[in-house]
Amino acid sequence: MATISLAHQLPTNPRSLTMVMRERYLVGAHIITALIALMFGIFMGPFQAFHRSPTFVRYFPSIPIFSYYYQAVTAHGVMNALFFTTFFIIGFTYFVVERSLQRKLRLGSLAWVAYVSMAVGLVMMLATLLTEPQRSAVLYTFYPPMIAPALFYFGLVLLALGSWIASAIVFLTYRDWRREHPGERVPLAVFILIVNLIVWDVATIGVAIELVFMLIPASLGILQTVEPQLGRTLFWFFGHPLVYFWLLPAYVSWYTMLPRQAGGKLFSEPLARVAFLMFLLFSVPVGLHHQFSDPGVSASSKGVHTLLTLIVSVPSFMTAFNVGAALENAGRNNGGKGLLGWVWKQRWGDPIVALQLFGMLTFIAGGFSGLINASSQLNATIHNTSWVPAHFHQTLGGAVTLTYISIVYWMLPAIRGRQLFSKKLALWQGITWFVGMTLFGLSMGEAGLAGAPRRAVTSAAPYLSERALFWLDVTAISGLILLISSILLYVNIVGTLFFSRRPVEAGEIPITTRSGDTRSPLWFERWGIWLGVLGLLLLMAYGPVFVEMLTYEWNILRYVPVINTPMR
Amino acid sequence: MELNKLERYWLTAVGMMLGAFVAATIVALLFFGIRLPSPVDRIDPQRLEETVFANPGIRQLAGNRYEAYVVAKSWAFEAGPDLGTPPVLRFPRGAEVTFYVTSKDVMHGFQIEGHTANLELVPGQIAKTTVRFNRSGEYAIICNHYCGAGHSVMYATIRVE
Repeated sequence: MATISLAHQLPTNPRSLTMVMRERYLVGAHIITALIALMFGIFMGPFQAFHRSPTFVRYFPSIPIFSYYYQAVTAHGVMNALFFTTFFIIGFTYFVVERSLQRKLRLGSLAWVAYVSMAVGLVMMLATLLTEPQRSAVLYTFYPPMIAPALFYFGLVLLALGSWIASAIVFLTYRDWRREHPGERVPLAVFILIVNLIVWDVATIGVAIELVFMLIPASLGILQTVEPQLGRTLFWFFGHPLVYFWLLPAYVSWYTMLPRQAGGKLFSEPLARVAFLMFLLFSVPVGLHHQFSDPGVSASSKGVHTLLTLIVSVPSFMTAFNVGAALENAGRNNGGKGLLGWVWKQRWGDPIVALQLFGMLTFIAGGFSGLINASSQLNATIHNTSWVPAHFHQTLGGAVTLTYISIVYWMLPAIRGRQLFSKKLALWQGITWFVGMTLFGLSMGEAGLAGAPRRAVTSAAPYLSERALFWLDVTAISGLILLISSILLYVNIVGTLFFSRRPVEAGEIPITTRSGDTRSPLWFERWGIWLGVLGLLLLMAYGPVFVEMLTYEWNILRYVPVINTPMR
Repeated sequence: MELNKLERYWLTAVGMMLGAFVAATIVALLFFGIRLPSPVDRIDPQRLEETVFANPGIRQLAGNRYEAYVVAKSWAFEAGPDLGTPPVLRFPRGAEVTFYVTSKDVMHGFQIEGHTANLELVPGQIAKTTVRFNRSGEYAIICNHYCGAGHSVMYATIRVE
């Protein structure tokens, strides 16, 4: 009986590194499933870098995975970008919300329904990728008219369904807290996570329509024809906010955890809330910046999205200032003097801090390359070249992933109740990841400027210049460094789960239960208003696009036949 | 909600920088004429022989202006029997060429090395871009959108002489 009643408690100290039983199971299931999905995705990456390099392929022509380039790209994208992130974010959100609000999740048992839905989705996806590698090589953007087996899309639908249930649970939990705490501001971490789930729920509507009304009927043979231009537009309605769905949990760590981990204090909480309200409004109506080269979207709509995309960089600049100031504060507390002395006085030896700092450094390069992509005409020089993966590997593969891994380095010990297997290994993992990803960004960016396309077996391409081929060889070196880093990561994960003997140290998880913010207006939490404004922005940014597509004289679904043999 | 002085300076600097980006976009549009693709027409990809793409290839207009019609399919660009496989498109230096390109099957890409021509080829849509070839040399037309097993060998060549 004792264990059963214990199983329903919250930890008495919200900052305790020890988890109670139900927390350990629920959060643990999500984080460990995320790490399993990541394992299937992460190890595909270096082999693509090798496969793209002409020199590497000349010396090692017969590595078996080299017969499966596009299948590897598909697995790398789907597992890293969709399954790893979603499982991780939902698990992290449950944990932070429960601890910060000091209350159990409302309808907590539904969280298991959500988990099972997402996990069945993961199994379906893995089964399709492994048993039908040729037909499921549609990449993680799955543009029609290329159509994968139905199981591919059902896996994604179940993932989305689970995440919707999870966000409903979080919203209800917040609503209960809100009712009991009138006149109080919700802790910043929860504020950010609520913004994040709203962005996610709105964005997934686009891809859900594409899946349910176009791709699934096409894969089942109910539809013989599809409309690719509409499909792409629905995908990117989802595809860009998706990157903010990944970024915002990393910002939770940077804003609400890192200042204390680094020994400092956040500069301004009200400014942080303004930044996240901007993310709420401007993350979604910007998807056309992925479609600047599309023939079926008018240039005027592309112009509107250019402007909105530049605006959505503002909250990230605000973050650079706010978090930068917190780090300066931390560095000066640690004895840093002069203009830049605080930089060297950061806790570079602590993997949890260092990984996040490395992530910020890659984010500076990644963020500026993003501004280049957003400037619509410049996009014509880099669109669909390897510059684009260079950009999102510095933002997502760099900043977001390094921050998630730094979270794993404290959360996994909390889940397991044992210390991290090796802090030294963790630090070296972070250093190699930072070096590898920086070199990857540089070389893929340069190769892209020299004309190397993304998502192509460039080692077999007959048309590339010497300069492009040189940088593709450099990418292979970055792939090797990242392969070493990935191995270090999984040695530490497996070590912590199975071989670590020492119980978890006395220490604190930087959770804030009461907001110290007394300045920001309470109407910041009137979510109805923000949803209304977002609706108007969407109407303005996407209304003309969809009207243009849907009112054309033809029956738009009639003309483009489904192709379900991409690798024939 | 009052802002700290430093916050104000920072936000002003960011605003000015983004303003400069917007200004650059407008200048590029008005003075350099760099336009984004916009809808031309839709087309039935299964009946290209009934359209302007029935006889792909190069057509000379007045002076040094040309039109080029190119069809992309898995996994080649087609520009008529005269230009070979993979096709070689020849233009004199200084030629201003308007490309009309479409896809017969899946998504393809159309990028001219060293020039600001970069189109998504969406089946059912005609894509259009105009390029001026000021430097002589050989430039690849690259399919830069994943289109299946033969994607990385799908290209054509432009020879400016």
